Order: sequence, then C-alpha cells, then structure tokens
Amino acid sequence: MDYILPYVPESIKSIPTHMDFDGQKRAERYFQIIILAFAAVGFACGYITQFFSHTVYILFAGVIISSLLTLFPWSTYRKQPLAWQPARSADGKSPAPAVTGGSQSKGKKKKLKD
Amino acid sequence: MNSFTSRLNSLFAFTLSVMAALTFGCFLSTVLNDHLRPVQLSVGKVSVKNVPDYSADRDRSDLGFITFDLFTDLSPLYNWNVKMLFLYLTAEYKTKDHDLNQVVLWDKIVKRGENTILDFRKTNTKYYFWDYGNGLKGNENVTLSLRWNVIPNAGTLPNVKGLGSQVIRFPDQYTAGRF
Repeated sequence: MDYILPYVPESIKSIPTHMDFDGQKRAERYFQIIILAFAAVGFACGYITQFFSHTVYILFAGVIISSLLTLFPWSTYRKQPLAWQPARSADGKSPAPAVTGGSQSKGKKKKLKD
Repeated sequence: MNSFTSRLNSLFAFTLSVMAALTFGCFLSTVLNDHLRPVQLSVGKVSVKNVPDYSADRDRSDLGFITFDLFTDLSPLYNWNVKMLFLYLTAEYKTKDHDLNQVVLWDKIVKRGENTILDFRKTNTKYYFWDYGNGLKGNENVTLSLRWNVIPNAGTLPNVKGLGSQVIRFPDQYTAGRF
C-alpha cells in the first residue's frame, strides 16, 4: 500500500473511511437486525419446503444485503461527529475561550516535540 | 467497529452464531420423530452348507443361503433433517454356543431425492451368511428384519428396526453341490 500511495489521485485519497461512534453503533444494530430477520424468514421457508438448503440460501442473501448496507463507511454513519476542542496554536494558548464547560479543568495540552 | 475489517469480523462471527442456532432449530423440529415404517419381507430358497471358512479358523462352518423379497415405502421418513437412510437386512438367531447372533446380509444407501419405494423380488444377498460354528443347520428361528440408520443434517443417528420381519427355518440337512 505504501508504494502506491504517492500515485493515488487526491480525489480518491480524500474519500472518508471512518464512522462516528454513533454510526458504528447503528451499523452494528442494523446488521444484527437484518441478519436475524432473514434467518427467521429463512427458517420458516425451509420448514415449509422441507429443505434446509433454502434456509441457508436466504440467510446468505441477508448477509450480503447487510454487508452492503453496513460494512462500507456510508455518509449516514458520519452524521454525529465528535465535538472536538478548537485547535490550539503553537505556544499553547487557545485562540478563543473554550465553548464547552469543563474544558478549563483539562489544563494545558502536552505538545509533541519535533 | 472502527474499520472495515473489524466490522467484517463482527458480522461474520454473528452470522456463524445465527447459523448454529438455525441448525439447532432444524434438529429440534425433528427430534420427536420415530422413523418407523412397515416392511414386507419373505424368503424364497433357503439352504445351508458346511464348508471351511478360509478367512477364519479353517474349521468347517455353516454357510446359509437365502433369496428374499422385500417391499416397503420409506418416503414419510424423509424430511429436511434427513440426508440419507442406510438400510441393512439382518438375520438374528440363537445357537447353543452364542445367545445372540446378528448377521448383515444386504445393505443399501437411499439418499434424499432418490426413489424411496423399494420392491425387490428373489434378490440374492450381498454378503455371505456365515455362522461361527454349526448353528444354522436345523435352526428353526432365524429372524430376518430390515433396519435403517437415519443420517441427519443435525442431531443423533438412530438405528431403527422396521415394522415387520420374517422367520426363516433352515433345513436339517446340508445341501450338497452348488447352491
């Protein structure tokens, strides 16, 4: 991956690949519900036709659908980003008073020396 | 859940657990079946010879010979939890040396989807009917029965005896010459 990174165009490198915490929670909930629903439907269909292979095929269809919906970082999973502190300048002073309460007690951020 | 591979791992593990639960459900749906069917059995020629068994002791042992007729319909035994039935025809009898002798004379595998109505006429046995000793001559109570072993998709593999058997009487004299 490192060898091709300089050759990848910026439009592709800038595609976001992360999910929010809330998005992760929703993605997990969605795939659990989709797979369980297809499993229940598949079990009923398999019992009616008396072929267990039908149950497994319907479950696999559910797995593919839920994979497409929840494995990829769609933008709906980035709708609740974290409220980060505003960035501080190099001498450790923040550019403006902090907006959220409780940040004053955090104290000065440690700076990494280059 | 913060990368594609961690979500993939989580989804895959969840799918496997769900599939295990579905398989257990398939087993539960058939656990109370009794797998019984009526079987019609009859025999044609019955004879016995006394010949050395070269694969055993080289003493002369009784070798029985029968031809049989078999008719049964096994289709109600097949459900979504049955892969195949392993059928075997057994002869059971008592001799003065051993209380219980069981010999398998013929077997057949019937997979799900194959023809389940069995109609065999004047069929030869597949395997030799050897006795350990000389217990077949004049034996009046050799019971022939068809049994099957149910091979499931999930669960136990019971051995079941079919409803219906045939008692064979072996003659008092050995048969000379070829069968």
